[in-house]
Amino acid sequence: MTNVSFDNILINFGFGLKEEKKEILKQNPEKLIFMDLTCFDPAEFYAEFPQLKGSFAALFCDEEKKIEVHLRDKNQAFLDKMKELGFITLETTIVSCGFIFPRTIVQIINEAYFALEEEVASKEDINRAMKFGVNYPKGPFEWSQGKEKFAMALLNELYQKTQDKRYLAASLLKKAAV
Amino acid sequence: MNLQRIVVIGAGTMGSGIAQWFAQKMCFVELVDNSSEQLQKALHSIHASWDKLVEKEKLSSCQVNQMKKLLEVKHLEQVSKSADLVIEAIIENLEIKKELFHKLDHYFSPQTIISSNTSSFPITLMSEAVSNERKSRFVGLHFFNPATMMKLVEVIKGEKTDSKLCQDLYAWFESKDKKPALCKDSPGFIVNRVARNFYGEPLRIVESDDENKMKEVDKILKEVGGFKMGPFELMDLIGIDVNYSVTCSVWDAYQKEARFAPHKLQKQMVDEKRFGRKSKRGFYKYD
Repeated sequence: MTNVSFDNILINFGFGLKEEKKEILKQNPEKLIFMDLTCFDPAEFYAEFPQLKGSFAALFCDEEKKIEVHLRDKNQAFLDKMKELGFITLETTIVSCGFIFPRTIVQIINEAYFALEEEVASKEDINRAMKFGVNYPKGPFEWSQGKEKFAMALLNELYQKTQDKRYLAASLLKKAAV
Repeated sequence: MNLQRIVVIGAGTMGSGIAQWFAQKMCFVELVDNSSEQLQKALHSIHASWDKLVEKEKLSSCQVNQMKKLLEVKHLEQVSKSADLVIEAIIENLEIKKELFHKLDHYFSPQTIISSNTSSFPITLMSEAVSNERKSRFVGLHFFNPATMMKLVEVIKGEKTDSKLCQDLYAWFESKDKKPALCKDSPGFIVNRVARNFYGEPLRIVESDDENKMKEVDKILKEVGGFKMGPFELMDLIGIDVNYSVTCSVWDAYQKEARFAPHKLQKQMVDEKRFGRKSKRGFYKYD
């Protein structure tokens, strides 16, 4: 994880365990904190930490660096800093575990891994089918490349929150995440 | 492999599109339907589409004249028995399809490849309608709408389909600028299975019939995810009833596996006859 501090603001980037994220919040009660919570439910953090002023989902962003941001209160200094760091922020009012894009994409990735596991098709053909059959900008395995750990963490969190078996991960995804 | 003579059965949207694509690739195409009226309608629409492409200077009039000569509309009994490939693109009804395949198996030469453009039924199950000799030349060829534009063709290998035949078809389509994907005979094949959660998960994010939330989800998935359309506007375009029916069919085929479960909002929309753009009311309103 990386922290960027300026004035009274702390922005926490990167992947970490829930306890590690919460520890940062506990250690900085006086700061206005904005945190990457791609793999978690921001509502849980907001309820516990009033100093957490907003959250964002940057773990699945690509070279364009477009990310979802949820703000409890408008904070221009934070948005300006994100812009300075090269991010294009899109504000959302929806507070959802895994935000919108990461939550949707991990489910597509997980299903692609299930299909691969059942030898329905090769990785290349699954990528190709989704790009040329339904115009996805990337194939599921192109999205997950190097991000399997994040996908697993988010699926686990969604399962913990909902106990819904739809979030159980494919064995091959679990292996790829190790 | 050299596919020169193609027969497309069913002159609906998919069948017409497939026939048009093959003719554009300079194959001789016989488009078949029980209804003469449907055949004329399809021919007129394909010709109009080609004429438009000439106007836009995407094709020359010389090319289009040649394509027009290559495409004929017929009833089944008038079709050449020595076709290289037959593609079935009729109504998604298993019994009707099986009856047709039985007829096609007897009608066409033993060398003819018989295929189905089905999106719902297992290829192996449909191949029960043909003789054992034909089963190795019975394959799934799933095109996407519009077939002239969408590059994907899922090449589906049934239990008894010859692997070499699938590889040859893959190579042939690739040589004609399609993007084939080879897949096993499994419910939803690749696309209709993997794409399910593009709809299912956003429905669970919004949970209720809240247009503002849907707009936000569509916006984020387009702008952050790079999707051409958001899930709610896409469901409205496809037809919520159609999408719900595909979801239920994949869910059933996977023994009601939680990952494929439809969302209550889909059923609610269908019950309220909010089918999307075609009924002027879906997740969004259309005046």
